[in-house]
Amino acid sequence: MEGILFKILGAFLTAILAFVVGMFYGGLRRKVTARVQNRVGPPVHQNFLDLMKLQSKRTNIAHGFMGHLAPVWIIIAAITVLMFIPILHGDLWFNNLTMKGDLIFLLYMMVFGSLGMALGAGQTGNPNSAMGVSRGLAQLAGFEIPFMLSLIALMLQFKTTSISELMQVQESGSWIIVQNPFAFIAALLASLGMFRYSPFDIVGAPAELASGPRSEFGGKYLGTMMTGGAVFAFIKLVMYVDLFLGGAGNNNLEGIAGTALGLVELLVKTFLLYMIPVFIGLVSPRFRTEQAIQFFWKWPTFFGLLAIGWALYKNGTF
Amino acid sequence: MEIIAIILLILLVGSILSFLINRVNKNFTGVTAFLVALASGVVFFTKVQSGYQFNFQLAGLDLQWGLTDYSYYFAYIIFGLSVLALLYSIKYMEGKARLGYYYASFLMTILGMLGVVVSQDFVSLFIFWEIMTWASFLLVIYNSYYKIKTKGIKYMIFSAIGAYAMLTAIVFIRVHYDTLLISEAIAKGAFNFEQYIYIPIFLLLGFGIKAAVMPFHVWAPSAYSKSPMPFTTIFSGAMSKMGIFGIGLVFTTFYLSNDPENFYWVRTILGWLGGITAVMGTIYALIQTDAKKLLAYSSVAQLGYIVVGLSTGTELGVMAALYLAVIHAVFKGALFMVAGAVEKQVGTTDMTKISGLIRKMPWTFFVALVSIIALAGVPPLGGFVGKWLLYEALITESNNYILVVVVFFSSTAAFMYSYRFLFGLFLGQEEKETEHIKEAPVTMIIPMVILAVIAMIAGSYPGLIFEPAAKAMEAIGFQNVSWQMSSLTNIWGDTTDLFLISMMIFAVFIIAFIFLTLKGLKKTRYVGTKDISTSGELPKEWENLTFQIDFFKPFERAAAPLYSMNMNKIWKNLGKNLEAFFGFFRKLYTGNGQTYALFVVIFLVVLLLFKDVIFS
Amino acid sequence: MSEIKTLGIPTPEEIKQAQIDFAPRCTSAGRVNDKETQGTVEYILNFARKHSLFVMAYGTGCGAIEIPATMTSRYDAERFGIRGAATPRQADVLLITGYLATKTLKRVIRVYEQMQDPKYVIAFGSCAINGGMYFDSYNTIKALDRYIPVDVYIAGCMPRPESVINGFVKLQELIKNGNAGNGEAYREDLDWYRKNQQKVIKNWDFPDKYNW
Repeated sequence: MEGILFKILGAFLTAILAFVVGMFYGGLRRKVTARVQNRVGPPVHQNFLDLMKLQSKRTNIAHGFMGHLAPVWIIIAAITVLMFIPILHGDLWFNNLTMKGDLIFLLYMMVFGSLGMALGAGQTGNPNSAMGVSRGLAQLAGFEIPFMLSLIALMLQFKTTSISELMQVQESGSWIIVQNPFAFIAALLASLGMFRYSPFDIVGAPAELASGPRSEFGGKYLGTMMTGGAVFAFIKLVMYVDLFLGGAGNNNLEGIAGTALGLVELLVKTFLLYMIPVFIGLVSPRFRTEQAIQFFWKWPTFFGLLAIGWALYKNGTF
Repeated sequence: MEIIAIILLILLVGSILSFLINRVNKNFTGVTAFLVALASGVVFFTKVQSGYQFNFQLAGLDLQWGLTDYSYYFAYIIFGLSVLALLYSIKYMEGKARLGYYYASFLMTILGMLGVVVSQDFVSLFIFWEIMTWASFLLVIYNSYYKIKTKGIKYMIFSAIGAYAMLTAIVFIRVHYDTLLISEAIAKGAFNFEQYIYIPIFLLLGFGIKAAVMPFHVWAPSAYSKSPMPFTTIFSGAMSKMGIFGIGLVFTTFYLSNDPENFYWVRTILGWLGGITAVMGTIYALIQTDAKKLLAYSSVAQLGYIVVGLSTGTELGVMAALYLAVIHAVFKGALFMVAGAVEKQVGTTDMTKISGLIRKMPWTFFVALVSIIALAGVPPLGGFVGKWLLYEALITESNNYILVVVVFFSSTAAFMYSYRFLFGLFLGQEEKETEHIKEAPVTMIIPMVILAVIAMIAGSYPGLIFEPAAKAMEAIGFQNVSWQMSSLTNIWGDTTDLFLISMMIFAVFIIAFIFLTLKGLKKTRYVGTKDISTSGELPKEWENLTFQIDFFKPFERAAAPLYSMNMNKIWKNLGKNLEAFFGFFRKLYTGNGQTYALFVVIFLVVLLLFKDVIFS
Repeated sequence: MSEIKTLGIPTPEEIKQAQIDFAPRCTSAGRVNDKETQGTVEYILNFARKHSLFVMAYGTGCGAIEIPATMTSRYDAERFGIRGAATPRQADVLLITGYLATKTLKRVIRVYEQMQDPKYVIAFGSCAINGGMYFDSYNTIKALDRYIPVDVYIAGCMPRPESVINGFVKLQELIKNGNAGNGEAYREDLDWYRKNQQKVIKNWDFPDKYNW
C-alpha cells in the first residue's frame, strides 16, 4: 500500500514538474523572441497568467461532444507519455512506469493527442480547423519518417527498444550523440517539425488559418490545451535528452541532493536543446506544407538512413 | 455422416432454402440465412475440435477433410464475421431486389470459405476455392446486375488467373510428388524452392491474388466498394484472409525448417511487395472521396501488413500477421458496416456530399471512432498490438530495416485517411439536408458494437487472440510460441504492459473529462456548427463550409512521384499489348481451308523432326 | 414638413425620441466584483485577466496601421501581456480601430457576440467616438456604444501608439477594479442594443435566438 501511495505521489510530482517547466519554457521562448526582436517582452511567467485568465473565463462554448473532449485527448497523451518516460536516472520519485513501455509505444502514444485534437477540431465545423488538421497530418507523415529512422538506428545499435536501457547504455559509455551523431541530426531536424515553430508552423498559422485546429476553442478548452502543450514540450525535450544527451541525474550523490543536482542538469540540457528549434524558428520564414514534407523526406531522411548504416557498422552487422 | 459434411450440408441446404423462401415471403429470407449461419456456427464450435480428420474417396482420389489449429483459427474469423454480417444484412437488405440471389450466394461464400479451411487435400481445396470465388463474384456484381462487363470483370479475370495458377501448381505436385494431400506435400518438400520452384510460386500467385498483394491488387478496391456492404464485411474481413491462410500454408515448409536463410529471396520479395502494397493502398486511400472506396484501399494496405508479417517468418512476425488477420477482420468489418449504415440511412457515402452525422448517428459514430483508432494503431485499442508486433518483428528479428520504414510510412499516412473517414462522414458542418436522418436500426447497430467492443478488449487483453494464434503457429511449424495475456515482449526482453497502459489512459480520461465538464458547467453552452468564427461573416443556411474536396492536396503535391505510379494503368497497357499480340495470331486464321491444311502439315513435320527431343 | 423629411433632416420630435433611444448606456449590471466587494480569488483572477489581454484587432478603419507599430519593437505592447488573438473565441479585447461602416458593424457585432465573457471593447480614434471626420457620412455609424458596450475610448485621429498603450493601461486599471467587461450588461440590455443595431443594419439576418 505504501508503495502505491509513493508511486501516486511521484506521479503527481512528475506531472507538476513537467507542467511548471513546460510553462516556464513557453514564457522563456516568448522572452527570447522578444529580445531577439529588440523588445522587452512579456515576463517569464506570462504563460501562467494566460492560463489563469483562460481558465477564469466566465462563459465557454462547445460545438459538440468531440469538441468538448478535444483537450482531454491531449491531456491523456501528455500524462501517459510522461509516465512512461524516465525523467531522472533511477530516481525514486520520477521512476513512474518507465520500464513498462518501449519506444514504439511512445511513438504511437505521442500521436494520440493530435489525433484526438483533430477530431475535436473537426466537429467545430470551421473550415480553417479542418484545413489545419489536413496540413498537420500531412506534416506528421513528413517528420515521422526521419524520427523513426533515427529511433530504429538506436534500437539496432544498442539492441534494445526500451528508453531506460538506452539511458543505461549512456551511463557507462559516452553519450549517443557521440556514438551515433547522424541519428541525433535526423531526430533534431524531425523535432523542428514536432515543435511546429517556424518554418513548420503552417498548421496553426494565425493570420492565414486563424490558428488552424484551435480556432474555435477558447476559455477552459484553450487553457487545457495550453497545459497539455506545455507538458508535451517538456516530454519531447526530456525524451531527446534521454535518448541522445545521456539523460540526467547520473551522479553519485545520495538523497535529495542527488535529485536536485539531477534536476538542474536536466533543466540545463533541455533548455539548451529547446533553444535550437526556437532560434531556428526566429530566423525562418514559413514553409508551405508540401515544401515542409519534401524537406523532411530529403535531408533528415538521408541522415536517418546514414544513421542506420552507422548503427549497423557499429554493431558489427557489416 | 461426418460432422463437417453435415455443417457444409447445412450451409448448402440453407443457401437453397433461403433462395426458395424468398419466393414465398421476402421478410423471412434474411432471418433464415442468419439462422442457418448461426446454426452451422454453433454446431461447428460445439462439435468440431481441432485435430479432427476424416478421409474418403471420390472418383478414385484420396480426399481428406479435417481441421488443424491453424485452420481452426481462420474458422473463428469466418464464422464470427459471417454471423454478424448476416445479422446486419437483415435490415440493410430490407426492401432490396433479388434477396434470394443475395442470401444464397452469401451462404455459398461461407460454405466455400469453410471448405477451404477444412480441406486438407488440394482437390477439395481447389473446388471450394472456386465455389468461394464464384459465389463472391455473384455478390460483387449484385449492385450492377446489368453492367457485369464493366464492373465485375477485373475481379473475374484476376480470380481466373489465380485459379489457373493454383491448378497448375496442383497438377505439378501430383506429377512430381504423387500426392494430393497437403500434409504429405509439405512432408515431401513440395513447397521447397530448391526443387521445383514454380510450384510454390504458382501457389503463392493463386493465394496472393486473393490477398490482394501488389501487383495483383487492382481488382480489390472496386470489388470491395461495389459489393453490398454486409458482404464486403466478410469479403475484406474473412475472404481475403483465405489468401493469407494459403500463403501461410506454403510457408509452412520454411517455418518448419527454422532456417532464416531458407526462402530468403522469395520472402524478401514478398515482404517488399507487401510493404509496397501497404504504401500504395494507403496513399490511394487518402485521396478517395467515397468512404467505401477509401475503406477498400485501406483494406488492401492492411493486407499488405499481414503479408509483410508472414514473410518475415519470425515468431513475432507470424504472430503479428495472424493477430492482424483477426483484428483487421474486426475493425474493418465494423468500418464497412458503418459505411453500410451511412449508406442505408443517407443514401450515399460520398464524403463531399455528407457531413456532420455525429449527432444523428451517435452509435454508428462510436463504432467508427473505436474502429478507426484500432485501424490507426493508436494505443490502447487492438490495432496497436498488431502494429507493435510487426515493427518489433521487423526491427529485432529480421534484417528488414528499410522495409520497416516503408511500413511505418504507410501507417503514418494511414492517420490521414483515418481522420478523413471520420471527418468526412461524421464531423464538420451539420447541414439542413441531413436533419431528418435517424440512427440505423438496432439489428445493424448490434453487430457493429460487438465488433467495436472486441477491438477495445483486444487492446487490453490481446492474449485472448494470442492463445489460438499461438496454437495455430504451432500447427504450422513453430515450437513453444510464447505469449502473455496483456503484455508484449520482444526477443530483447523489452516489454509493453498493455493493461497498465489502458488503465492509465482510462484513469486520466476520467479525471480530465470530469474536470473539463464540471468546470463552469452552467456557463458552458452548446452551439451549432453554423456558429463559427468566419471573420464575423454569418454563414447562411445553405452555405456548406465543410472542407471536403482535395482534402490532402498538399500531401498529394509532396508525394506526386508516388501517385504517378499506377498499377491500373500498367495492367491496362499490358492488356492492350496482349490484345495486339494475340491479334497477330488471329491473322493466322485466315478462313481459308488450304492455309489450315498447311498448318497441319507444318505441325506434323515439326513433330517428326524433333520427336527425339520432345518424347525423350 | 413632408419635403423636409425627404431631405433626411429629422423633426424635433424625432430628435427627442432619438435622444432617448440612442442615449449611450453606461450600465454596471453584471459587474459582480467591483473594488470594494471583490474577494481574494476574484482579485487574483482579475490580476491574471489584467495582465493577459488577447486582442482581437478588428482592422475596421485607417487605425489598423497603428497596431503593428504598437505591437512591434518600438512600443512593444507584449510587455503588458497584450497579444494578438486569431479568432474571437480566444480573444478578450475587441479593438475597433477607427470608423465603422454599417456593413462592417454587422461583422463587428457578430465578432463581439462570439467572444467569451469577460470581454472588453476598446474604441479607437475619434470616428468610433462620435463619427470624427465622417460625422455626416451616410454609411458610417457615429457612436459605437449605441451598438456594443465600450469600456475604453482612445481619442485621436489617429491616436499614436503611446495613447493606444495608455488606453490599454486604463483598461487594465478598470479590470483590476472590477469595472470592465460588459458582456453581462449587453446580454441583459439586449433589446435596446438590438433595436439600435437593426435601425442601421438594413439586411438584418442574425439568428433570432441569441446564440453566443
